[in-house]
Amino acid sequence: MNINEARDLLWLAGGFYGLALLFGFFKPFKTEFHPFRETPLISIICGFIFHTRALYLRGLDVHGCPLGNTLERVQFILWSLIITYLILRILWRLNLLGTFCAGISMCAGWLTLSIASADNHYWLEDNYSRLFSDPWIELHASIAIFSYGIFSLLAVVCFMYIIQRQTLLSRKSNQLGSFLPPINDLEHASYRLLSVGVFFLTLSMIVGGMHWAKQPEFVTSSKLVITIALWLGYILLFLLRMGNKLFGSRFAKSCIALFFIAILSLSVVNSKTTDSKEENTSPNLTPTQSE
Amino acid sequence: MISPSTNTLHLLGSSHHTADLKAREKISLPPGHIDDFYSGLTKLPGLKECLLLNTCNRTEVYGASDSGNFSPQLLSQYFCDFRKLEPDFMKHHTYECSGEKVVQHLFEVTSGIDSQMVGETEILGQVKKAYDDACKRKVSGKILNRLFQKGFQAAKWARTNTGISKGQVNLGNVLCELARRIFGDMKKCRFLVIGAGDIAESAMEAFKSRGSQPITVTGRTFDWCPLSRRKPDELAEKFGGFALAYPEFQDSLHLFDVILTSTSSGKALIDYQQVQKCMKLRPSRPLFLIDSSVPRNIEENVSKLDNVFLYNMDDVSTIANENLKSRMDEVDRCRSALAKRAVQLWDQMRAYRSPPASINQSTAPLS
Repeated sequence: MNINEARDLLWLAGGFYGLALLFGFFKPFKTEFHPFRETPLISIICGFIFHTRALYLRGLDVHGCPLGNTLERVQFILWSLIITYLILRILWRLNLLGTFCAGISMCAGWLTLSIASADNHYWLEDNYSRLFSDPWIELHASIAIFSYGIFSLLAVVCFMYIIQRQTLLSRKSNQLGSFLPPINDLEHASYRLLSVGVFFLTLSMIVGGMHWAKQPEFVTSSKLVITIALWLGYILLFLLRMGNKLFGSRFAKSCIALFFIAILSLSVVNSKTTDSKEENTSPNLTPTQSE
Repeated sequence: MISPSTNTLHLLGSSHHTADLKAREKISLPPGHIDDFYSGLTKLPGLKECLLLNTCNRTEVYGASDSGNFSPQLLSQYFCDFRKLEPDFMKHHTYECSGEKVVQHLFEVTSGIDSQMVGETEILGQVKKAYDDACKRKVSGKILNRLFQKGFQAAKWARTNTGISKGQVNLGNVLCELARRIFGDMKKCRFLVIGAGDIAESAMEAFKSRGSQPITVTGRTFDWCPLSRRKPDELAEKFGGFALAYPEFQDSLHLFDVILTSTSSGKALIDYQQVQKCMKLRPSRPLFLIDSSVPRNIEENVSKLDNVFLYNMDDVSTIANENLKSRMDEVDRCRSALAKRAVQLWDQMRAYRSPPASINQSTAPLS
């Protein structure tokens, strides 16, 4: 374990998130289990500190916001998820939400770490200079990925909504249902998270759009189409929810489905065309990012 | 003070374990007789401290003596005389014990595992009240003070560390717990009761105690005439709620978050179309429907609508029974843990002839 190595720190952060998941789940259900009361939160905070340091070290390596390969993008989304949770945690006691977030961060984090191809060392290429030559593009990418973090939290909340709904509809005594937040609160929380996520995604679209207007040759048509489609998807979801046309379980399922589409589209959005590959200084960067 | 060779703690009691309701009614002390009971009890030779626990389900007399001169049979004899009961009747419907068993019994009582509704918390408040009463009368001293304070600690330990109080077992409380899982803060819940059955009353009591908004009651027998009081009007008045004219309730469904039907009309009072129409007026806010009537008053297919949660009495009873079962599974574990604590306390009481003054001072409440 090298604390100056980003990957080692990411493994460690995942371990702390795993601890938070373990303690978070055992605490309400096992009466004879008595860890320190705030153990799950402290584990999440420790994980977040290591997570932040890992991204910082990787940022130093790539000379910019680390968003150059799948591992970095997923880790940045997970980092955004945890920081959003921690900000919300200051306002409300959301222990079980933290447990769910920690679970996702551990699983997704370790999964990407265990796939070698997800973390190609593009910055070690001979002709590599830096990830983003234009700070506006760096801002666009980081805001977009931050909004993905909020959408991932939205997906977690919607998942909790569906579990709570299922436990209520099963009409049986269910311990998990007793510890989950009320279904009405989850519905409100998901609407607010969607609003915030849509705000940040729109902001990133504006910043990216300004760059695209000046240099359209650096954005592939597939990226453009998918990005706009995804943004429209979230805008549509927001408008439907605002107009009370889509709510309850269908809204929750739509949020989760759209989030999965967004995650899957990440590879397409960040893939490059043959033409752009020749233009790129590094082989795995998006045309927009690499210039 | 406590000699190892003699039992200084004594208990005479009767509860649902040994006496049916009729017998308990005979044994139970009416509130007006308690002063006389205590004054006679304190005069029993050899008895230095005493405490009466008198609830709807149990009547128990705890006593402490400082020598071997006191005979526990004196308690039974005194009780028979006071309540004018036959000794055979007393023998069949009461239990007696001394020493360590008294400690263990009290721990089981305060923690709720000896209660009819296992794990209920009301008994702890009743024991505290009985203890306060004994302290005010200055009939509880060093031994009983220590015993009861330890009993309260044992109760807290049992509720925190075992699952005996987990889940609601009372139907009204189960409904409240379900409402909490749907709406969260009960203060924002608007509750409509259609009919006036026992379940309705139990639910109203539970909702009211959790601070729900004023409850609205309607029913087929509802009558505006104040001279011809019917149950729906009485219920509304009892719980400080409102009465709604029966023909109007179907157009007002969207105004309520929780709707409970408890009538014997034998037909559906709320159908799918009505709930669908109601949900169009409150699409994103859930609706909790409780059908406690047999035959049912709410069409079952309303549960297919999004954000509508329909429960009938079978569902609620199933949840209550599952919770009770999980409590029962914890009883043995709790009992053995409390037995260990009882042995520890009894050993301490025997080891220290005179308990430290600080303990006695700190444990006795100000009278």
